[in-house]
Amino acid sequence: MTSRRQFLAGLAAASIAPIRGWAAAGAPDYLAAGLFPDESFRLAGLSVEGDILFDVPLPARGHAAAAHPTESLAVAFARRPGTFAVVIDCAGGTERIRLQAPEGHHFYGHGVFSADGTRFFATENKYETGEGRISVWDAKTFERLGEFSSGGIGPHDMRVMPDGQTLVIANGGIETHPETGRTKLNLPVMRPNLSYVSLKGGLLEQMELPSALHKNSIRHLAVRGDGLVGFAMQWQGNQTEHPPLLGLHRMGRDPVLLSAPAANQRHLQGYAGSVAFSTDGATIAITCPRGNALHRFDVQSANFEDAFALQDVCGLGAGPDGLIFTTGTGLFGALSQAEPKVLTRSDCQWDNHLIPIRSFA
Amino acid sequence: MHKLALIAALVFPLSSAAQDHTPTLIDVTENHILPRFTTLAEATEVLNATAQEDCASESQDLRAAYSTAFDAWISASHLRFGPTETDDRAFAMAFWPDTKGFTPKALSKHIALEDSAVASPDAYAETSIAGRGFFALERMLYDPEFAQQGSAAYRCALIQAISADIDANADAMAADWQTYAPELTQPRADGPYRTQDEALQELFKALSTGMQFTSETRLGRPLGTFDRPRPKRAEAHRSERSLRHVELSLVSTRDLAARLSAEHPEITADLETAFNRAIESARSIDDPALAGVADPQGRFRIEALQQSINDIRQIAATELGPTLGISAGFNSLDGD
Repeated sequence: MTSRRQFLAGLAAASIAPIRGWAAAGAPDYLAAGLFPDESFRLAGLSVEGDILFDVPLPARGHAAAAHPTESLAVAFARRPGTFAVVIDCAGGTERIRLQAPEGHHFYGHGVFSADGTRFFATENKYETGEGRISVWDAKTFERLGEFSSGGIGPHDMRVMPDGQTLVIANGGIETHPETGRTKLNLPVMRPNLSYVSLKGGLLEQMELPSALHKNSIRHLAVRGDGLVGFAMQWQGNQTEHPPLLGLHRMGRDPVLLSAPAANQRHLQGYAGSVAFSTDGATIAITCPRGNALHRFDVQSANFEDAFALQDVCGLGAGPDGLIFTTGTGLFGALSQAEPKVLTRSDCQWDNHLIPIRSFA
Repeated sequence: MHKLALIAALVFPLSSAAQDHTPTLIDVTENHILPRFTTLAEATEVLNATAQEDCASESQDLRAAYSTAFDAWISASHLRFGPTETDDRAFAMAFWPDTKGFTPKALSKHIALEDSAVASPDAYAETSIAGRGFFALERMLYDPEFAQQGSAAYRCALIQAISADIDANADAMAADWQTYAPELTQPRADGPYRTQDEALQELFKALSTGMQFTSETRLGRPLGTFDRPRPKRAEAHRSERSLRHVELSLVSTRDLAARLSAEHPEITADLETAFNRAIESARSIDDPALAGVADPQGRFRIEALQQSINDIRQIAATELGPTLGISAGFNSLDGD
């Protein structure tokens, strides 16, 4: 039963009209980084149909981006281990400023604006000690204000919880050092976790998986409006095992792990790339570029629903009706009902993540 | 209709044509994998027997047995899947890199507490993985910091326990590889590899990650940066085996590459040339512990060696990989 008050509140929250500041940038619905036909790496603003509304060159291959809640401002991260993040004025198509990780740190590929748009947070690796750090930046001047512990090693994705006061951080658990590229230095002793911290860095809660799953690196996150967190994992253990790559967690509760039947799960090569809830929050999906698959689950029952074969699928986000996905082969498509529908095909190779700018709820 | 067809066309990467790869799979399994684990089990048995006879850290017999057994492990260590991965056996053999110094901590703790786990192989296998294997034994045999810690009797018992554990681990791997071998040579629908392509892909992955480890970690860690070289981060530098490991791993992966590419003689030839160049480069360097990373001339030669290994990796990725149906997707290769 939806009361009139809830209905109105829903209307207010829904961004039926494009968000003010973003209108100046052509009112894009999504951000995605990609390799363009002229061999340049760019950050693009995409419409809900997949049309490219703007694109801005990046200095190197991108990974993920963060969209400011109201201003047409995005921060695009280099693929890890990157030492820069680029703040882009999407209306002017210009680079406003480049954030540098301080000496001894590098960025880890993801960041997020606070709900009120005044702060920006980025995941970092303090690599000599292998500590995960979260840096805090002023979202107007992009001055570095400080940093605090991420609560673990190898923080990757990070989101703001619906209360606007809490960050949820995926500490993947894997230690790397820029001198050895992406070589994983601590697999036998890795212990990933999901950490909930206040915006000032106070640790509120930490979730660890059972020890048998300590090699399941928690990397990417999705948060539902009621605070339910979906987390996608990458298995670093024996590749003849096929553990779940998706979990759901609610603060104060035990995690629930979701898996497809063995016949599907074994195709995935232990690797999930992105995770997202559908707009109505009833389903959650992961993309699996190594298994060329998208798996969809029912949130309430935690049951596997269906698997779709999509080559090099990785970007994923909520869409007007269900989910939107992008692939490394240039597809932009929607998954609402029984089958994925390709909406646009471009000559771009879309990178790992698709970042929704607004809510379709 | 149009869109469905489009999706169908994009579903899976090109798979190699239906060709019988049985001879390749049998050759790799019987002539590359199994002999390495047999050799390892034999060498660790000698190590264990020697340690039980003579546990003095400076014993020449013990150090020689240690060296032979470690050689055998390095020559097999790229085969890090199936029985090698089970129960973290590969890490129990070689806990490296040890960025947080867990190995000396684990050993000091055993010594300080006179941990009775050394009396039983089963009990020792349950202790910290960082205190097991060849790097733990290296500390006990070559690190002056451990030459005086605790009592001589306990140090002896610890050396014997680590040696016995290495031997038991190698025996378990060798036995399991015998039963696992048919999974590779005769893939089946409900086995770990369902098709010959999947089995070949596992072997290719072993080849490419083995070379990656040698280039990025065995050489990359001590190289550090020009301004900040890290000679003390070289693998097994205490026993002056760092460069030797690079050469052993190249010789071993050259053998695997030759067998894996046997169906494509022109690729075999390209790989052979590149491997020989890298191995010659390694043999021409007279710097067993890779200490030369810290001086410009020594560093130049070690960087050239690293580059020659990256050249092999490039040939493997661009020439051999595609013949084995290895997907080269933009995101699937990114790994993040």
